[in-house]
Amino acid sequence: MLKFELSQSSGNYCDGVTRRQALQIGRTALFGGLTLPHILELEANAAVSQGRKATSCIFFMLEGGPSHIDMWDLKPGAPKEIRGPFQQISSAVPGTYISELLPHCAKVTDKFSILRTHSHRDNGHQTGRHWVLTGYPPNFGDGQAKGMPYNELYPSIGSIVSRELGMREGGVPPYIEMPNPLGPGGPGFYGAAYAPFTIETDPVQPDFQVRDMNLDKNISNRRFRLRRKLLQGAERLGATDTLTGRAKMMSTYYEKAFKLITSPHAKKAFQIQMEPASLRQQYGHTSIGQCALLARRLVEAGCRFVSIDHGSWDTHVDNFTSHKKALVPPTDRAFSTLIADLEQRGLLDDTLVVMMGEMGRTPKINSNAGRDHWSQCQSVIFAGGGTRRGVVIGKSDKTASQPITRPYGIGDLLQTIFHLMGIDGDKTYQTLLGRPVSIVKDGHVIDELVA
Amino acid sequence: MRSTSLSIALVAFVLWAFSTKTSFAAEFRISPLPITLNSPESSQQLLVTAIKDGRTLDLTRQVTYEVTRPKIATIAADGLIQALTEGFTQIIVQAGNIELRVPVQVTGIKQPSPVSFRHEIIPILTKSGCNSGSCHGKAEGQNGFKLSVFGFDPVADHTALVKERRGGRILIVNPERSLILRKPAGAMPHGGGLRIQPSSLHYRRLRRWIAEGAQLDAGQDDPDQRIKPAIAIDVEPQEQILLAGVMQQLKVTAVDEDANQRCVTVEAHYESNASAIATVDHRGLIQAGDIPGEAVILVRYLGHVAVCRVTLPRPGVRFERPPESNFIDRLVWDKLQQLGIEPSEPAHDTLFLRRVYLDTIGTLPTSAEVREFVTNSVADKHSRLIDQLLERDEYADYWTMRWSDMLRIDQAKISPQGAVAMTRWLRRQLKKNTPYDQFVHAIVTARGNMLAEGPASFFQVLDNPELAGRSVSQLFLGARIECAQCHHHPFEKWSQDDYYAFAGFFTGIARKSVPNGGKKIVLQPGNDLKQPHTDQIVPTAALGAEHADFSAYSDRREALVDWMVAPNNPFFSRVIVNRLWGHYFGRGLVEPIDDIRATNPATNEPLLNALSQHLIDLHFDIKAFTRTLLNSRVYQLSSHSNESNALDNQNFSHAAWKALPAEVLLDAICQATDVPEEFNGWPVGFRAIQIWDNRMPSYFFRIFGRPQRVSVCECERGNDPSIAQALHLMNSPETMRKIRHRNGQARKLADSDMSPQSIVEELYLSTVSRIPTEKERALMMQAFVESGGSRQTAAEDILWVLLNTKEFIYNH
Repeated sequence: MLKFELSQSSGNYCDGVTRRQALQIGRTALFGGLTLPHILELEANAAVSQGRKATSCIFFMLEGGPSHIDMWDLKPGAPKEIRGPFQQISSAVPGTYISELLPHCAKVTDKFSILRTHSHRDNGHQTGRHWVLTGYPPNFGDGQAKGMPYNELYPSIGSIVSRELGMREGGVPPYIEMPNPLGPGGPGFYGAAYAPFTIETDPVQPDFQVRDMNLDKNISNRRFRLRRKLLQGAERLGATDTLTGRAKMMSTYYEKAFKLITSPHAKKAFQIQMEPASLRQQYGHTSIGQCALLARRLVEAGCRFVSIDHGSWDTHVDNFTSHKKALVPPTDRAFSTLIADLEQRGLLDDTLVVMMGEMGRTPKINSNAGRDHWSQCQSVIFAGGGTRRGVVIGKSDKTASQPITRPYGIGDLLQTIFHLMGIDGDKTYQTLLGRPVSIVKDGHVIDELVA
Repeated sequence: MRSTSLSIALVAFVLWAFSTKTSFAAEFRISPLPITLNSPESSQQLLVTAIKDGRTLDLTRQVTYEVTRPKIATIAADGLIQALTEGFTQIIVQAGNIELRVPVQVTGIKQPSPVSFRHEIIPILTKSGCNSGSCHGKAEGQNGFKLSVFGFDPVADHTALVKERRGGRILIVNPERSLILRKPAGAMPHGGGLRIQPSSLHYRRLRRWIAEGAQLDAGQDDPDQRIKPAIAIDVEPQEQILLAGVMQQLKVTAVDEDANQRCVTVEAHYESNASAIATVDHRGLIQAGDIPGEAVILVRYLGHVAVCRVTLPRPGVRFERPPESNFIDRLVWDKLQQLGIEPSEPAHDTLFLRRVYLDTIGTLPTSAEVREFVTNSVADKHSRLIDQLLERDEYADYWTMRWSDMLRIDQAKISPQGAVAMTRWLRRQLKKNTPYDQFVHAIVTARGNMLAEGPASFFQVLDNPELAGRSVSQLFLGARIECAQCHHHPFEKWSQDDYYAFAGFFTGIARKSVPNGGKKIVLQPGNDLKQPHTDQIVPTAALGAEHADFSAYSDRREALVDWMVAPNNPFFSRVIVNRLWGHYFGRGLVEPIDDIRATNPATNEPLLNALSQHLIDLHFDIKAFTRTLLNSRVYQLSSHSNESNALDNQNFSHAAWKALPAEVLLDAICQATDVPEEFNGWPVGFRAIQIWDNRMPSYFFRIFGRPQRVSVCECERGNDPSIAQALHLMNSPETMRKIRHRNGQARKLADSDMSPQSIVEELYLSTVSRIPTEKERALMMQAFVESGGSRQTAAEDILWVLLNTKEFIYNH
């Protein structure tokens, strides 16, 4: 019985029984045979064994929906109007074939896994992204969402991770978005404290810098130190350094902000210019390439969740030219280099990397040589962070239209991500109106994916 | 449960030693008496209480118990009596040197009445959390097993338990092998963990119910065996004063229509609204914390609710009543006296001035205004200032902005022209101070062209009867009935019938296109709505009111408004009064401010009642009412706390620190730096509080929590701090540009012939609205010393510092 309770070591039980209460139950039941410190120790072990494998996550959102049948799940035997012009090539893992558009990834297929049977019911962009990034279907129609972020109620994965795991040493914000805010990347009812820190400039730009973080050229370090000293003095004299509640939280955030501005460690994390030119070249001088490289730096410096927004995958027209020329090559380079780079630095085991879109694309080619929206069968790429390596999970039918093995929904993907990060996906929080909402709506951990 | 028992208190006069140190004479009370247990799983919570000088102390867990015939019943150290076999016994309560005997009669064991699923099993599922919104009660169930949330649908729950999975969850021939017992009792892996102890009364009752055939309504045909539904629950005690760290057991009794009583203490669900002050556990045991204040313990049982109010006074305080300006002060001092919390000193003139400007007109006072007020020696300058502010244009601007949020003026839904038309109408109403009842009347019955000045667009945003119903209910009645769309409101009496009955008021309107491209709201015949769950038509009715009679109305909404604004309406004035109180005092008397219900009482009920009556007496004159609030001494208290009130955040013993709304903060920065903001597409000179465009992209608005107007809840406006905010204020190009702007405040002061001392003073006045102290002057003079002779550098540095103080960022 004890083991049972401890296995739910994080936070609230379904109906709000707290961990403390549960521990009390455990203690009573054992007639004092275990001391509290002992139980806490067991609990800590339980938490480890229950598996926080990933301390950070890098999440690529390929906005618009990448074509799974042209990238990860080719069907050379399918009729011409379906299979498209691309050939499949062999890869580092014997028997695993991917598209010729992904030669760099092919060399490292032994380091990541391909899930070929992701499937859900939402064929809209905004709505699909909302579902993927929050785990909850939206309450608006596709194209109706206005404003940013548009996940008005449900928190995004990054905000959840930020809330559950918090900030690590070093002062780097726990949740960072780049190079734009993702529509549904906001904190929902969790509130601004769990909002992403959004880098609204693209690291591929030569003069890249993060907004509000670098000192104005008119302000010397000496002058900034003076300002800070005077500010501390003013707060002390105004007796505002003893406040409680939100005002105190604001003080904490000022401290963290100071750290970001002044701490070489935190600042350095954002200075992609410090990377050797050769590595930057290897990642590719593209938006997704430099975002991937910056993401690695941020994770290295302690960021918990980096989301990378990469657009223009909605290829209704000229799908093949777009994939071949504009979309896949930079992605191939960025992703494969990131995996190898993480591995080389010993970070891959602690860093979960996920790459997906809000949908796949229709197997049937349309009259504009394009492919349309297809959420029923998609491929999702997982690497590191306690996932298995070099495996292909699931199988789609002859035309990559439907999974023929067990389909995995959005809830399953999210449960898996949270599981790997040591977060209890069933934990609940109350909305502003007092309705309990669990972190993930439904789904199960994809066991085949977990190492 | 099927017999009447009277709760008679046994009172004895005893000498009770509370600790080894003190002993005193006290009355001694046991409740209830006599005790009858009439089913195999029935239980009775005993309460043992000492009473001295009108104060009570719970001894339930401190006395010792002995059962004279242990075969008949048992009693645990926590005072819970359980039946064993039929017969009569006595329980000896030993308290100090006193012994009292409690008679206990046990019946209904040999031939028990069958267990009722509706009345006896549902409470167990609720209590154990099985049907909570985060487990099997959620819309999609959990692991393929779904129950109705909080058990509002016993028939469906019975089907789920007994018939789904081909009855695989229940094994009548071998009840203990049933999934429904094995899973929650830990005999099989269960995602929800251990929920029901195998030795518990709950387990035994479930087991007996299965063994009896797992019926939905067993015994309901037999009048002797039928269980009558509870019509109410009583909780004892209902009010309790506790000292820090002390415990109090609750006793909960369900009463049916024949006044039969039965103890449901172990089946009721408990929740505290203020855990820092008092917590409550699943057995109904309250544990007082160490922060003085008041907590409400909410008790739920089968859709019934009751509350116990717990007060933790601060001990040993000699309370000196400050003077009173009006009834607000009297009622707040009453409360503070009861709690032993001393109010803070009155705020200094400048602190009051800054606060009342920001609260009332969303605008920072200028340095000239501060100087003028400080030097003004007129005795009633505070109330004169209040009168002046209420007449300023910014009052209308600011309150237009606030009402635009609540009424959801969203240009994406109603077009920019529609937003302008409605904003103009709002501003006109606020400027001329339309009485609140007329204001609401105009909104709720709005019709006509949405592009013409008027509130018609309200019903373009709320574009269906249900949305309109729940929005109007929350906004103007403080009843969050939207919970009842899907299930019986967990903390309230509102059911799905009530929800659809209310929405029925909004079926009589349609949206029609007009030639110029806009739309208008027109009347159409209304109809009562079908409740989708039961498939029955529900007659339209207001909350807690009779079915509406529309015979005298052409517009159904008129009938609703007449009910709303009637002086005896229990909701209408309380909501607006609480909303305004929350705005000016930083916290509603009821929180959340638009969630007013019996189970969420105000921290100061007499005050809420008095304020509500006051507004009615003033014929809903909002400015006059605001004047009363602002002229109270309570509003004018300092935000600096003293030793006794530092932890108090619900009794208004000191002023609160309130986050400035995004727009107000931006305007304040512009004013303090003397550099206006240039909003994309707007002429220079517009202030942020005047921007009607809720969709205007703005990084500043985004990070400081400006609402998108997707809900009528004021809670949509964010007030949480963040790193992005701190970075932005300290280090953004936007802030930096304003600080060193060539036409800005710092440059102007540097270029003037003012002395450094005067510059420091002027900067303090124009940012934190007060004169700096000697120490602060000395501190800031360092900027001049370190600036290498550049007066501008020094002025910029000081301005930067002041803009980043919490004194500037917050209203306090």
